[in-house]
Amino acid sequence: MNRIRLVVNGREREIEVEACKLLVHAVREDVGLTGTHVGCLTGDCGACTVLVDGASVKSCSVLAVQADGAEITTIEGVAGDDELHPVQRAFWDEFGFQCGYCLPGMLLTARELLDRMPDPDDDAIVQAINGNLCRCTGYGSILRSIRCAATRMAASGEPAEEAS
Amino acid sequence: MTVTTSGKAGVRAIGSPVRKADGPALLTGRGRFLDDYSLPGTRHAVVVRSELAHARIVDVDVRAAAASPGVVLVLTGEEAAAHAGPIPHFIEPAARGGRHADVRCLATGKVVYAGEPVAAVVAGTRREAEAAAALVRVEYERLPHVLDADAALEQDAPRLYEEWPDNVILHNHYGTGDVDAALAGADLVVSDTIRISRTTTAPIEPRGYLASWDDLDGTLTVYGSLQNPHQLRWMLATSLGLDETAIRVITARVGGSFGLKMQGHPEETLVCLLSKLTGAPVKWIEDRRECFMAGAREQVHRFTIGAMRDGRIVAVRDRIVANTGAVSAQAGWAMPNMSATTLASGYTVPNVRAELHVVVTNKPPLNAARGFGKDSAHFVMERMVDLVARGLGADPAEVRRKNFIPPDRFPYRTATGLNIDSGDYPGLLDKALRVLDYDALRLRQAELRAAGRHLGIGLAFELTPESADGPGSFVSGFDVTTVRMTMTGGVTVYTGVTSPGGGNDTGIAQIVSDELGVPLSWITVVQGDTERCPSGFGNFSGRSMVVGGGSAALAARDVRAKLAVVGARMLDVPVDEVKVADGRLRATGDGRSVPVPEVAAAVLTRAFAIANDVEPVLEATRAYKPGNIDHVPDERGRIQPYPTYSNCLHAAVVEVDPETGVTKLVDFVMAHDCGVIINPALVEGQAHGAIVMGLGAALSERLTYDADGRLTSDRFKTYLMPRAGDLPTIRLEHQVTPSPFTMYGNKGAGEAGVGGAQAAVANAVEDALAPFGVTVREVPLSPPAVLALIDEARTR
Ligand code: FES
Ligand code: FES
Repeated sequence: MNRIRLVVNGREREIEVEACKLLVHAVREDVGLTGTHVGCLTGDCGACTVLVDGASVKSCSVLAVQADGAEITTIEGVAGDDELHPVQRAFWDEFGFQCGYCLPGMLLTARELLDRMPDPDDDAIVQAINGNLCRCTGYGSILRSIRCAATRMAASGEPAEEAS
Repeated sequence: MTVTTSGKAGVRAIGSPVRKADGPALLTGRGRFLDDYSLPGTRHAVVVRSELAHARIVDVDVRAAAASPGVVLVLTGEEAAAHAGPIPHFIEPAARGGRHADVRCLATGKVVYAGEPVAAVVAGTRREAEAAAALVRVEYERLPHVLDADAALEQDAPRLYEEWPDNVILHNHYGTGDVDAALAGADLVVSDTIRISRTTTAPIEPRGYLASWDDLDGTLTVYGSLQNPHQLRWMLATSLGLDETAIRVITARVGGSFGLKMQGHPEETLVCLLSKLTGAPVKWIEDRRECFMAGAREQVHRFTIGAMRDGRIVAVRDRIVANTGAVSAQAGWAMPNMSATTLASGYTVPNVRAELHVVVTNKPPLNAARGFGKDSAHFVMERMVDLVARGLGADPAEVRRKNFIPPDRFPYRTATGLNIDSGDYPGLLDKALRVLDYDALRLRQAELRAAGRHLGIGLAFELTPESADGPGSFVSGFDVTTVRMTMTGGVTVYTGVTSPGGGNDTGIAQIVSDELGVPLSWITVVQGDTERCPSGFGNFSGRSMVVGGGSAALAARDVRAKLAVVGARMLDVPVDEVKVADGRLRATGDGRSVPVPEVAAAVLTRAFAIANDVEPVLEATRAYKPGNIDHVPDERGRIQPYPTYSNCLHAAVVEVDPETGVTKLVDFVMAHDCGVIINPALVEGQAHGAIVMGLGAALSERLTYDADGRLTSDRFKTYLMPRAGDLPTIRLEHQVTPSPFTMYGNKGAGEAGVGGAQAAVANAVEDALAPFGVTVREVPLSPPAVLALIDEARTR
């Protein structure tokens, strides 16, 4: 067993994990946040995406011990205290999800993209989510959601960081 | 898209793009999917699967596994058979003139496909169970196997089920008319063979179940990622020998399904049995490799089509061989039926004959899949229409127009017996061609072709019979909803239909909002719980808004009627002079009003005063049966299992690179008619998802097996589903031709796209490669497949 420290959605957590435990399982089972999903465990679907120190990571492809000391953002940490993040609101308004199983990956990938590039063009959006599979929406509404979030955030001057 | 805020005064909810009710939960990671449930003391199960496609089980040695750390139980097929009987079929083949085979939760005696469950391990953790499962030693005596359906039809083919005389689960003929005479008199006769590869539904969330047996009171609670809780309860009661009333099935939030999560899987019975035997809650989560075993379709069509010089199609003959894999209790084997009965689609072809062989092989079973066989019918039909156009040197758009059922001939009985309710197919074609700017595009194609580039345009019509009712089965054409109002006016809707993600709960709330006259924000919809919801049939066949919506409307009207009686007394006006809207009951004359919660309180607290002689129940349960379903066979033995028929016209534009074989999707348009739309955004979401699933089947998706029948496309790296970067912007056009047979004139959405998109792309690729003279006979059109087509055409 290995004791590791993580800052998850701004809260410090200490957990004990086996050396072989994947980060996704540590987040779901030891930290107890089940919003991060497992779709393949082969790094292909992106449902397990979290931000590790601000960068999107497929948490099934990282060992928990490798994340020792890192800041992790999961889907549970995207919203502010009482309010949805503009990216979340855009996904709701633009029907950017159906079953929602891919949603953790889509939201965090979008969030990271807009942090990095507040006004992405279509190619940049497509490239960002190309590693995330969605079987329900056909992606069109997801692209629309991210575009909508970018436009609204630019209009309100709201920095993407704020709600973290 | 503009978004309607919940409950805005005066806005009719029906027809508005209301946001999904589950948005806040899902967007913040609070949606509870199956793997997010945990009960105290939960143990974890792993299934040991056959590595051989066909073999006799000689011995299962579980000693090492049982001694492995954390293991509480290792169960073999023989032991399971002592506690659980065969799983009843969702649709019993023997009841449809086919052959029956027993299916159990673990194989006994022999295995008939690689991947069949042979043993199960329960341990404290999933990892312990996995480690132990690897220690289970199964000794097999190999038997000859057969993977190909044509080969399985040979006289001397290996036999899967010894008690059967062959490998045919169903053999049937469909259609009417004198095909031979019509073909003899036709100006053009085209014969060819088309192959549809095996694909799969692959929702991003695989299946999973959590079962908890209570030894003290002998009851079973099952949580599952599933579509049909009541049917599953019946199935479990039968296989486990329990009373249905002792079982509660609860549907977790479902991460996509597309037919996969209908009941009939061995693990459903297995996980419940494991809980019963261990006395602990047991959870099983399918892994991705296991999920890829479920097939969605695999067929070969050998057809002949005849047409007159003016483009009129006079006859279609099709011999269909469908590979259903091994028998399962799921509904997959029944899908090819619909491939046969949906032929000649929305065209007035008077003479149609289809012969269908549904063949078992040593591949894993087919499972129900979005399209339910109708997709394959359209793929083949639309290829045939294009081959007619090509043979006549005619425009494929005009050949379609020539043969469409004219809008004034509905209801229209097809040669195979379907009674199509309504439609305007030429209208759809016009819309699609307009959006495409078809004539200009043809000119552009010619220019590019002159410059050595290969642009192709493909059209495809698609008819999706929806809201099926299978006589004598739990494929039901009706459903049931309860609407209940609390003392303070809150409304809970308990419905028999379920939602695997598409959002019909939101649509049903919209209907109740309008019918009851209360804001959307007052309404909660409860689905997928056999204890809380009325007996219903869940999700399939695009039925949820037709029958879930229809029954919710009836129940809401009953509750509103009661409010009206008491509210009218409170306002001291006659009952026919009040209206309920926006949460208030209003006198139509002078506009005085009283809030609905006050009326509700009066019904329930003044039962011996103002609400005297009104039965004090603010609750109604109603069933809705749409029209047009007819199970009495007509003079030719045909029945009519569908109330309504959605339809659409697809247009694909592709550019093919003959050097690399890569097909690039340039544009895609769908003109869609599902009758009256309850929530346009949800309908569009369904259409986009189905189209993209069809595009995947057309270009890249294919389940592959090695010569021994072992799945080789077992991960997303080898089973290639479309990603965002593979797709053009898909453009949707709506046309509304109301159904005369459903409550609101709605027709059902969700399946249209899978077959049509495949056909449109196939037709477009053939069109793009017309200079080479290729004929597309197979999907997916992967780059190697396209190069092979070109090579074949060159060497001919
Ligand atoms: S579960 Fe991590 S990428 Fe699919
Ligand atoms: S919404 Fe279902 S997988 Fe994306």
